[in-house]
Amino acid sequence: MKPDAVSGQLESLILATVAESPAHGYAIVQQLKQRSGGAFDLAEGTVYPALHRLEHEGLLSSSWSVETGRRRRVYQLTRAGRSTLGERRREWGRFAQAVEAVLE
Amino acid sequence: MIWLEQLEHELGARGIKGRRRERILVELRDHIACEPGCEARLGDPVALAVSFADELGAAEARRSAFGAVAALVVAAVALIVSQLAIGAAGGPPGFEHGHSLALFVPAALGMLLAPQVALVAGTLAVVRALRRRRAGVLPAAELELIRRRTRVALLAGLATILGLELYVVDFSSVLAAWWLALVGGAAALAALALLAAMRGLSQAGEIVSEVDGPSGDIFDDVPLPGSRWLRRRPWYLGALAAIGVTAVMTLFVWHAERSLVEGLERGVLEGIAAAVGFALLGRAVGTRPVRQQAPSAGRRPETPRR
Repeated sequence: MKPDAVSGQLESLILATVAESPAHGYAIVQQLKQRSGGAFDLAEGTVYPALHRLEHEGLLSSSWSVETGRRRRVYQLTRAGRSTLGERRREWGRFAQAVEAVLE
Repeated sequence: MIWLEQLEHELGARGIKGRRRERILVELRDHIACEPGCEARLGDPVALAVSFADELGAAEARRSAFGAVAALVVAAVALIVSQLAIGAAGGPPGFEHGHSLALFVPAALGMLLAPQVALVAGTLAVVRALRRRRAGVLPAAELELIRRRTRVALLAGLATILGLELYVVDFSSVLAAWWLALVGGAAALAALALLAAMRGLSQAGEIVSEVDGPSGDIFDDVPLPGSRWLRRRPWYLGALAAIGVTAVMTLFVWHAERSLVEGLERGVLEGIAAAVGFALLGRAVGTRPVRQQAPSAGRRPETPRR
């Protein structure tokens, strides 16, 4: 899948990934790859500005944790993030349905 | 580690420094430590630094506008409290009871005119910040407009507080000690809030965004009737604003003081002040158009984002 197609939905994909459980940047990238079956081919670094933006918007919160001697930033969904994710899921459902109806 | 060093350098070159840069580097250092050799998949460090700067530039400009308005509210409370309480403190005294006209004139200008500039510039800054709150990135010209409006609002807020402090000094031998202490303390608190907001604005201004696009103007923020016509004739907008201010102030003072003459005097003075303010600050706060620079090579166009 082209990076442009992914970047338009990157925020929703990150919210959906973090909704499962709190995660740090690398784990989010790995889950995105795993859950998409490797379909998303994006520069992994692009996830980080998006994470910071989502935190600025109050959709994610983050805190430091230390694992195996390394500091890492762990992100989790806020209440506003959960509500936004629900909204985006519904929007995507309607959009996908409409595209499918035209293409079939 | 060359990749991280390059990212560190590029972030610094775009004004992302200190704790903000450190956090980004720690996160990406951890990413690389999880899978050594994955630097190529992280992408170009220059592009990543540009992306961070564009995103943080927009977020910080908006935040500085909101911070400025919060500080201006503190200043407004100090000013309002001073005027509400002055009757109980033996005032308001005539200017001849003060220490010096050299204190009274700047104090009166600061307390009468500067709050109006702060109100207009601060409102325009926060309206733009609210209107564009969902945009992930904003054109560099638009960030500059938000920051200019915020700067004008904060400077006017500081002028107001300075005027209030001068007023306290000028009438320190006439007004009650409790009023001087209350107002002096409230003004000092407001000055601290305004300086803190100014510091936030200065830090936001260090981030260099590279997104192309127009800054927009007042007509994008306020749905004025006849905006298409007025946009080509910005001085007509200034004239209309001055006439409007004159009319409103005349009616207000006429009603409050039961004197049409006083109302007209105050209204005309306020109208002239509004016209002068428009001429002096119109470009800074985006009520008069600023010449747009041609898009430079290498700049990114603004892209819509969900």
